[in-house]
Amino acid sequence: MTKMALVINQERCIGCQACALSCKMSNNVPDGMMWNRVISVDTNHIDGARGTYPNVTREYLPIACQHCEDPACMKVCPTGATYKDASGRVLIDYDKCIGCRMCMAACPYNARVFNWNEPVRQVGFNYGDKDVPVRPRGVMEKCTLCHERCDRGEEPMCVVNCPMRARVYGDLDDPNSEASKAARAADAYVLLPEMGTKPQVHYVK
Amino acid sequence: MQLTGKTKGVCIVLALLTIVGIGCWVFQLMGGLGITGMSNVNSWGLYICMFMLFVGLSAGGLIVASSAHVFGIESFKTIAKPAVILSTVCICVAAAFILVDLGGVQRIWRLFTGPNFTSPLMWDVCIILIYLIINILDLVWMGKGADDKVRKLSYVALPVAILVHSVTAWIFGLQIARAWYTAIMAPIFVASALDSGLALLLLALMLLDKMGLVKLEDGLVASLAKLLATFIAVDAFFILCEVLTMAYPGAGEAAALSQMFSGATAPFFWFEVVGGLLVPFVILAVAKNREKRGMVALASVLVVLGVAAKRAWLLLTSFIMPNVAGGPGITTGTLSAQTGNATSMWATVGTYAPTIPEVFIAIGVISLGALAFVLLCVKLMGGDSRAAVDEAVQPA
Ligand code: SF4
Ligand code: SF4
Repeated sequence: MTKMALVINQERCIGCQACALSCKMSNNVPDGMMWNRVISVDTNHIDGARGTYPNVTREYLPIACQHCEDPACMKVCPTGATYKDASGRVLIDYDKCIGCRMCMAACPYNARVFNWNEPVRQVGFNYGDKDVPVRPRGVMEKCTLCHERCDRGEEPMCVVNCPMRARVYGDLDDPNSEASKAARAADAYVLLPEMGTKPQVHYVK
Repeated sequence: MQLTGKTKGVCIVLALLTIVGIGCWVFQLMGGLGITGMSNVNSWGLYICMFMLFVGLSAGGLIVASSAHVFGIESFKTIAKPAVILSTVCICVAAAFILVDLGGVQRIWRLFTGPNFTSPLMWDVCIILIYLIINILDLVWMGKGADDKVRKLSYVALPVAILVHSVTAWIFGLQIARAWYTAIMAPIFVASALDSGLALLLLALMLLDKMGLVKLEDGLVASLAKLLATFIAVDAFFILCEVLTMAYPGAGEAAALSQMFSGATAPFFWFEVVGGLLVPFVILAVAKNREKRGMVALASVLVVLGVAAKRAWLLLTSFIMPNVAGGPGITTGTLSAQTGNATSMWATVGTYAPTIPEVFIAIGVISLGALAFVLLCVKLMGGDSRAAVDEAVQPA
């Protein structure tokens, strides 16, 4: 089995949002939504700090689809539009999506975004990777682990563009991959393990 | 039977509202669900509240009609036909609310070509279809006077009716990511279905009695009202169980609870507790009130409104606090986010208010249902003169 994943090192993350914007660009994500976000945990603002001055801390958390091993979104999808591919990535077949938003309610990480309107792009044309399909109105979308790029042997755009090398992409089932080594480290963890979705995306703090 | 002037007037108003609703729906089909108040944070709204409400409302009819046979309650038999008509119309209204809520309704056939049976929504599609078929068979056989078939069908209809509400509850109750995740969700849905469904049935029967289509005995009203009081008490008990279980540990779910008690969904919660449970129960607990149609009607209206409010707090509370919270939050994907309003692109908490077209679509769907109910009753029961109705009161 293959279980492609990201391991994100929060110690290295400086909150520059490069991954979030690379994702948006590479995947032709329409205006008004993002697949990947860098949030400041427990605050209400971008680059917010937690606590009261002078006892403040800041924790950046880049968050997108966790490519769960047991995805809550896939279980509840009535048409099978959400599926897991042979490389362990959770993907959406846009032709099958009826826009019921069961998956959106089911995902514990708010990873999914919906095309409520006819998707528009400020620049007036489609951008990004030539192999990424354009999504119509009324379908769900989310991080695909840049499967179009990766199937050509490249790495996800967020990984390539992270200036701090905080993101590692690789196969968790290959014990020798950088990703699987990082995910096995003592300080590695997953988000909301109590949800039982077994995220493949790991974090290191 | 001819429509009287008053009925005709009501029908015309309903038809107009339906047309406005259809117009708004076409607008929605053209522009997308972005014309509603929903967003990536609060991803279900008025339509799904109404879906839950109408699945529940359809309970009263079929359950009362089937109980007539299953438990041999003779007095219920007289009202079996309008009860089943009501139940059929309500389930169609519920299904229509799912249709207007779908973003890709033109791809709906995918449900049948690639069904995923682990999805509670798929279960619901199946059970609602079965339920609808049972309702229609029931009506057809009642019309033909095939009493034996109707009796046999009742034994299937009753458990299916309970299942419809449970499966609808599981769409929400099985989602661990949300505050909906509780085993009592199905019992709550069944209880709300029983009380709101029976309340609506009482209102419908009183209306039909006024129109001269049904002869409603005072004794029957009183006994149905007593049953309604019992159902309200059961509903209240389940809610108490749930709220106490949420509150006691003080962890996790307490945040959702504080939203219900004093936050965004508090008006709905307290209206339900006071207006939808307490007041109608007190009204109906007094035997004298159960004899007065006005009082029974008042209590019934309150129960239906209370359950409608419950659908709102039940659904929306879960969308307020994201599990992984942090600034700037979640991207909303709404129309105003799309048109470059940076502040509405991000949200750290879920907010929701229906838009005007959204409300009109909901009113349109409900009006269509009401219109269908009146016309079906006139068509299917207009032939029965009062004498024929009277005759049915006598046990065969
Ligand atoms: S993070 Fe959400 S959308 Fe992604 S696989 Fe897990 S449950 Fe599905
Ligand atoms: S919105 Fe699309 S992907 Fe999500 S559950 Fe419905 S059909 Fe599946």
